[in-house]
Amino acid sequence: MKPFFAQIERDLLIAWQNRQDLGVMLVFFVIIIALFPLAIGANATVLDPLGVPVIWIAALLAILAGFDRLFAQDVRDGWLDQIALSQLGLGWYALAKAISHWLTAGLPLLIMTPLMAMMLNIPLQQWPPLLVALLIGSMGLTLLGVIGAALSEGARRGTALMALLILPLAVPLLIFGTLASQSDRGIISPHLMLLGAVFALLLALAPLVAASALEIGETETGL
Amino acid sequence: MTDHDHKKTARKTAPSTADNYLHIKQLSVLRGMVLVIRSLSHQQSAGDICCLTGPNGAGKSTLLRTIAGRLPAAGGDISCAVPIIYVGHTDGLSGAISGRENLAGWAKINGFLTTETAIDTALSSFATNRFANLPVRVLSRGQRRRLALARLALAPANSLWLLDEPNAGLDQASSRILDDIVQKHATAGGMVLAATHFDFAAAAKPRSLHLPGLVT
Repeated sequence: MKPFFAQIERDLLIAWQNRQDLGVMLVFFVIIIALFPLAIGANATVLDPLGVPVIWIAALLAILAGFDRLFAQDVRDGWLDQIALSQLGLGWYALAKAISHWLTAGLPLLIMTPLMAMMLNIPLQQWPPLLVALLIGSMGLTLLGVIGAALSEGARRGTALMALLILPLAVPLLIFGTLASQSDRGIISPHLMLLGAVFALLLALAPLVAASALEIGETETGL
Repeated sequence: MTDHDHKKTARKTAPSTADNYLHIKQLSVLRGMVLVIRSLSHQQSAGDICCLTGPNGAGKSTLLRTIAGRLPAAGGDISCAVPIIYVGHTDGLSGAISGRENLAGWAKINGFLTTETAIDTALSSFATNRFANLPVRVLSRGQRRRLALARLALAPANSLWLLDEPNAGLDQASSRILDDIVQKHATAGGMVLAATHFDFAAAAKPRSLHLPGLVT
């Protein structure tokens, strides 16, 4: 397990050196949320039910926006060659990447969410289901992003390709996530369980898919 | 043998020098639609230094990357049971963090000795201590190369070193250190295969493997 944590440690060190990226991502999140009321107008009956969906869409876009450079830098630096020869396989490497990316993007976003919920006037009893669903949803989106980043690695115009690949796959997470967030029967709702199931599936699949995508991508484009 | 099998065997550490060999049989490698390497056979055993020579585009880097398991072989067989240390064109260093952090991270993902003194010794092997704590992005080409080569000091004695143009960007003093470290590795029973245009470890009288150039 030591190599696995070493990879996470390395990514966190790099993320700390590039911490302005985190600021950009959080501001992006806030701006998307702030734009909705401006476009819809100051009408409380229309705006109130839109609070939770708006937070979800903003979170989805903010999380996926940060993925285009997830593997690109490591490929360019030649770090991926070193990984492939090391004790850490490409699958564990992809999982380590997902964890460090969630810690540096998903978690700060989650911490910002209560502030956004306050801004959108979401009632207090809705906060726990929203936060729990967003916790699982953001982890699921991160895993999806890892798949997308690995698949589009090596392709020119990777960012656009990644959005095309990943956004349709994010639909189940979005549907179950928003439904679970708006549940009025406590935190543990059937929708949350389905969201959890999607997350569990992604957790099992994403490292494998990403590993084989990185393997192929390297073969086709390697130096 | 498939690419995958090859990598699995490459990760195992062999304790005795009897397993310390590199056998390449009838290897062919395709890049795009071009057959870059055709029916290449090569053997190396403990203590061998081999220089890979040939014109640009002859497939030197391709061969090294294929042995490292980063490119699939179109045909033929590579067997090597010792750990492989690969220093390629790209140094494998992240620009955002320091050379010391890069090296320590590399040692950890490989499960090598990572005590503070081991890292210090490795850094001092190529006299990188003076700039090891600076972010790598501010360093020059040669300084990065020295940090990448400092990995060799942490490698196990029986490992196979694949060096792709190791001298590129190095000053004379560092080239001498490299020659020295390569010869020591060979004396200790390791293997070195280096693609190079320069005189490399000349004192050890390395063997040479010449790739003739593009085969179409």
